Amino acid sequence: MMRRLRALWRKEQLALSRDVHGLAVLFVMPAAFIVVMSLALSDELRGGGGGAEFAVLSADGGQRLAERLAGDGFRAVAPPPGEAAARDAVRRGKPALVLVVGQGSPPALQLLADPALPPPLLAAFQQRVLGVVLADAFGVDLKSAASLRVEVVGPSGARPSAVQQGVPAWLIFGMFFVVMPISSLFIVERREGTLARLASMKVPFSLVLLGRIGPYCVVNLAQAVLMLLAGMYLVPWLGGEALALPARWDLLALVALATSLAAIAWGLLVAVCARTMEQATLIGGIGNILAAAIGGIMVPRFVMPARMQAFAEVSPMAWALDGFHAVMLRQGGLAEIALPCLKLAVLAAALLAAALLLQRRQRP
Amino acid sequence: MGLSVQALSFRYPGRGEAALDGVSLEIPDGCVFGLLGPNGAGKTTLISLVSGLLRGAQGRIEARGQTGLVPQDHAFYPMLTCRENLHFFGAVQGLAGAELERRVAAVAAFGRIEGVLARRAGQLSGGLKRRLNLAIGLLSEPEILLLDEPTVGVDPQSRAFLLESIRALARPGRTIVYTSHYMEEVQAICDRVAILDAGRVLASGALSELLHGGQRNLEELFMQLTSRSLRE
Repeated sequence: MMRRLRALWRKEQLALSRDVHGLAVLFVMPAAFIVVMSLALSDELRGGGGGAEFAVLSADGGQRLAERLAGDGFRAVAPPPGEAAARDAVRRGKPALVLVVGQGSPPALQLLADPALPPPLLAAFQQRVLGVVLADAFGVDLKSAASLRVEVVGPSGARPSAVQQGVPAWLIFGMFFVVMPISSLFIVERREGTLARLASMKVPFSLVLLGRIGPYCVVNLAQAVLMLLAGMYLVPWLGGEALALPARWDLLALVALATSLAAIAWGLLVAVCARTMEQATLIGGIGNILAAAIGGIMVPRFVMPARMQAFAEVSPMAWALDGFHAVMLRQGGLAEIALPCLKLAVLAAALLAAALLLQRRQRP
Repeated sequence: MGLSVQALSFRYPGRGEAALDGVSLEIPDGCVFGLLGPNGAGKTTLISLVSGLLRGAQGRIEARGQTGLVPQDHAFYPMLTCRENLHFFGAVQGLAGAELERRVAAVAAFGRIEGVLARRAGQLSGGLKRRLNLAIGLLSEPEILLLDEPTVGVDPQSRAFLLESIRALARPGRTIVYTSHYMEEVQAICDRVAILDAGRVLASGALSELLHGGQRNLEELFMQLTSRSLRE
């Protein structure tokens, strides 16, 4: 039994090592996503956002208020000559914000905002305006309010960076793409009659499926190592932040293993279902992209509305992401990763059973 | 008797007509047995049942010894070398160590593929692929060798070599079942023949017995029995 299994593993490892395109998809694609998305979202997730220009339109010139609002990336510029001109200017994005101070006591405040301004920046400026109002009304020092120290209770005491969030997400996405080489090699075997030959040699189909699991687990774990290295060295080399590794490597490996089993079992089911390469690419590719979109890989779950966040729970990629976040962001222990790992393992078993049943039904 | 098939019937799920309908054959030990028939006659179904690829047939199959199948397709891994293919198919049949090496060397010599063992199987010519396909089927040293159209798509030299090799394989203790569309091949190497059509045996016996009705050759007999109408 073990001799036959070793032969199947060796064959799969040789075949996979010679499938250059399949390997490129598995290693280059997630690494490219990690680099691009980590750099693109670095300011967004750091909470910086780059700031914006603003002006204050007030009967008294608004210079004193503008000085008080300036800082933390918000730069005061000369106000437009009137409200109509201010609206025109904001529509063009120069400046992105104009605070219109009305007549009367207390004066009515209106904030004109560039439609292209990111919502977090708009919210940050609103808070600055309210801070100034509070300072005037209650004598609260705006500088003190602005220097409120935020501590994120995590490994580094700082808010997780884009690379910290992005590496697990795109690693999971890449791991699930083993569906492509698994199904394409399987379809070639079926088309060329090799599976039939193995059956005539009394090699059980369950063993043929098991023969895939070992080599692809190794591939998935190699993906994990390489993507972590990309986050640690490649992203900072290109100007982003470096990935901080968790203290518990063993738990990280456990989550990666559970994710790998689910991804491989999914690949095997697609391989058994699909009759042609085109079908496998369609089912596997679209399935992965949908699972990624729903599961918070492409769009972080925290920006989704509540109903979508609840719906995200159906995606195995969301379970895997929960597991990785528990280890990499929250320094969680075995208890924190147990549920996501269990869900992934049960899914893997169910998908394998479905693949076996389907194969039995297809073959008289 | 090398292989005995008694009243074998088989129907593919979801299909109306039977692929095999009460087929009975007695194949003596040590002979080369030709299985002839037009497309859809049931030849591949019969050898798939004998080799254990298909299950669920009615009737009885008795094989004296282990069966080995050489399928019509090039059923090996094109991205692996010939040596890696032979090692893999030997290992999944439980061979290892010196015995595996001995058999790999023996079948490579038999198929005259020793010179291309290091080449990837997908890069071989049609004739070499057929010879590798045959060599893999011989790794387990089967007592009953089932050959499904083993000469399709090869040049005349490779075909002549394959036919001589197959003829040389037959000996007491080894029975060969050979399916083909090429009548002259069957006439050249087979001791006994069965002609199938629509899942039934139309004729079976030694070549000399079958050609006693005035037919000049096997093709004439075949056309007479199976009619000239085109098949699917």
